[in-house]
Amino acid sequence: MAQVQNEKTLGEKLLSIPRGVLFFILVLATAIPLRCKVTIPNNPAENSANLYRILMSIPEGSTVLVQSDWTNSTRGESRGQFDALLRILMRRNIKFAVLSVGDPQAPQVAKDVVDAINRERAEKGERQYRRWEDWLSLGLFPNAEGTGNGIALNMSNTFATKEESDASGMKRKVMLSPVFQGVESVADIAAYIIVTGTKSSQIAIERLNNKVTMLALVTGVMGPETLTYYASGQLKGMSAGLKGVYDLETMMESGLNVTGSPNQVPAVPGEYPGFPGQTNLAKGTQYILTLHSAIFLLIAAVVIGNIGVILSRKKGQS
Amino acid sequence: MILANATNFWARESGSGGLFLMVFLTLAICAALIFGLLQMPSRLRRPVVATFTFVSGLFYVLLWIWPQAQDRKPTDLPANFTESVSFWLSDALPKIANVSNILTAFLLGLGVFSLMRVHLTRLAKKQRDWSFSIVLLVSMISITIFGYWDWAQRQGMTPLQLEEATKIENWTTARLGQSLLFDGLLQAMDAAMFSLIAFYILSAAYRAFRIRSIEATILLASAFLVMFSLLGLADLFWSNMINAAGGSDPASFINNFRLSEIAGFIQKTFQVPGIRAIQFGIGIGALAMGLRLWLSLEKGGVS
Amino acid sequence: MNPVTYDAIKLTLGVLATVGLYTVLYRENKFYRFWEHVFLGLAAGWASVTLWTETLKENWWDAMLGKSVEQGVSTGEPGYWIYAVMLPLGVLGYFVYSKKHSWIAKIPIGIILGLWSGQQIQIWWQTYGPQMKASMLPVVPTTWESLTRPAMNGLTPEQMASVTANIYPSQAIGNILAIITVICVLTYFLFSFELKNKVVSSMSLTGRYLLMIGFGAIFGSTVMMRFSLLIDRMYFITIEWFDALKLLIG
Repeated sequence: MAQVQNEKTLGEKLLSIPRGVLFFILVLATAIPLRCKVTIPNNPAENSANLYRILMSIPEGSTVLVQSDWTNSTRGESRGQFDALLRILMRRNIKFAVLSVGDPQAPQVAKDVVDAINRERAEKGERQYRRWEDWLSLGLFPNAEGTGNGIALNMSNTFATKEESDASGMKRKVMLSPVFQGVESVADIAAYIIVTGTKSSQIAIERLNNKVTMLALVTGVMGPETLTYYASGQLKGMSAGLKGVYDLETMMESGLNVTGSPNQVPAVPGEYPGFPGQTNLAKGTQYILTLHSAIFLLIAAVVIGNIGVILSRKKGQS
Repeated sequence: MILANATNFWARESGSGGLFLMVFLTLAICAALIFGLLQMPSRLRRPVVATFTFVSGLFYVLLWIWPQAQDRKPTDLPANFTESVSFWLSDALPKIANVSNILTAFLLGLGVFSLMRVHLTRLAKKQRDWSFSIVLLVSMISITIFGYWDWAQRQGMTPLQLEEATKIENWTTARLGQSLLFDGLLQAMDAAMFSLIAFYILSAAYRAFRIRSIEATILLASAFLVMFSLLGLADLFWSNMINAAGGSDPASFINNFRLSEIAGFIQKTFQVPGIRAIQFGIGIGALAMGLRLWLSLEKGGVS
Repeated sequence: MNPVTYDAIKLTLGVLATVGLYTVLYRENKFYRFWEHVFLGLAAGWASVTLWTETLKENWWDAMLGKSVEQGVSTGEPGYWIYAVMLPLGVLGYFVYSKKHSWIAKIPIGIILGLWSGQQIQIWWQTYGPQMKASMLPVVPTTWESLTRPAMNGLTPEQMASVTANIYPSQAIGNILAIITVICVLTYFLFSFELKNKVVSSMSLTGRYLLMIGFGAIFGSTVMMRFSLLIDRMYFITIEWFDALKLLIG
């Protein structure tokens, strides 16, 4: 008799999956699909398409400022975004200066990734991006608010203390480098691009949105908040999360609105070619299938939990 | 040695006795002022902090309300008092930004100092888990040594030398140690720490994401729709159903029910305006808080 | 050192640390505590390196002492002695540990907060002005040709421009809903006390429901991010590390 009372109903069973089992299934769901090579169809979001449109419209030889505030804590999304951004900038011969305002680890992480993309280019026999000539590392500005205001109203003096070695090895002011040639204020910058996993993008947008074309590549968590700035026109383009990375990579592979390309976004005017035959499909493509399995697992867990509750309630009522 | 650039009252030749004298005098005056602060009666403490806070905030307030020069050129001279103030404010801004960066850096150092202090105390007093304090201090000291060593080696390198230095076969001991600690350990652990949340999200969603009220049901439905819209395969499956129901004709009304369209509608109609309204609220709160802090009206705060 | 061996060692250490931190999923244990302390130590140590090398060295030290043109390593800069003030000002923050004089630490914090609060007035309109403007959406349709916006596949750029310039009835309805959402959610937030006015209280209730739609979307995006981070770790272990070991073994 006691045995019958202890026997769990289906509802109770559904509600009592041990935490360890759930964790183990999650590990399997996020590890196994990584080995599968399946092409996932994609429909680029309008905000990602606008980001790509602007990056592809910046005249070659122009300069952009890249605010890199991510570290490996968000590598799953930010690394793919930063890689894609650097590949586009370098392939289009756009000069860039990297600054960080968010995290003491961010400047080194950014430098490491630039080195990695440079090595990738060197392996393919492409020209490497050189410090001083093509790009600058401006370092860490721990007070994001003051720095944002400084850049907005007097950029050249805000970077006045920063130096890099020129071709002869002599330390010189960064504003004298070829990267900032012809640049006097932030209005002369082709775009201000923020790659972040935190709210640092908002601090910059608040101070700079009416001075320069702003773009943001943010994590999924920051996506919905940042989207309000895109919707109001304060950001001209943005990529959010892993889907945003995949959007960028597919557009780099087969272009945007180009005849024959699967990436058609009618709301975005113009045709923008991709970079066929080059390394385009990277982190986003590698992870997107696995994201499917992880999200399906979460949905299944929620559904099972709710069915369990419903069945238990029915049993209780009867 | 070639002499550095021209000087004025605020600037002195680099390496000159005059510069060191001025630095020493400044430090001595500051030390005297700190001594004065140590002797300050309790009733004056609040006004002192309030004055520093107010004057700091006043700069940006003035910058905002004072007329700004349009199309100012570096050679332009101020024509009147208004322009003089305007030019001064504009020129001072980058310096204020620099000061705020320096001060924030010093204050961030406080966190490092605090951690060291806690663990050194634990170690000295052999408190519980003191062995872990050794682990922490050894990690801290090793990355500090390798970090500075690697940085020092890179100083004065030409861009070409820097390019060569990035090749792993050219890495020095300092670079190898720095990369092992920074990329090999710190960055890996940083990523691992933050990825732990995925496990808890799954567990919490399974145990607590219940359709118990209208609010929870709306939230769940919206979350599922957005999650599905992020998945290309789900989008493809849905699109095939829409196509089968007549969606192949671009003019068909049913095309409005594609997953991306529904998710886009939710985003534009509810998500963005909803978050925007929250941000309006936060903005009003931040403005009020800003005023209270600036005027030192916040009782439990700075003053 | 052979790059392949070095890479394998570096990645193995990373994997050990990752697994060590993951053991907390079972329960708090010494292995986890060990790696947690390594993590904290490295993060704090790195912060001390970066704060000097990426910020204080150039922004403060070099600005204060300047640079002379020596052996062609620098173009030369005068020193601005006034920057010496920053050292004692920064040191004031460390008085927080003094029981008697901890109030002094409030001076540098007050300066930072003062600078922040002074900017709030300035940036408020710059931030929320465009947001408010973007909330004033057209609610009257400009055309009744079609209930919804027609598909733009195969249209010429001029035709596309004409389609996008018009407000179709479905868009007008969407815009009305968006405006209602802003007003109701704002009502819900601003009137968080007990409401006696029925109109306001029903708006507030509607705001709560509408907010749930937004929160649902946020939850969806958050899930994507959290899983992406885990996927990345799994990639690190099952692909990057395995590949490095394979290379090492040959």
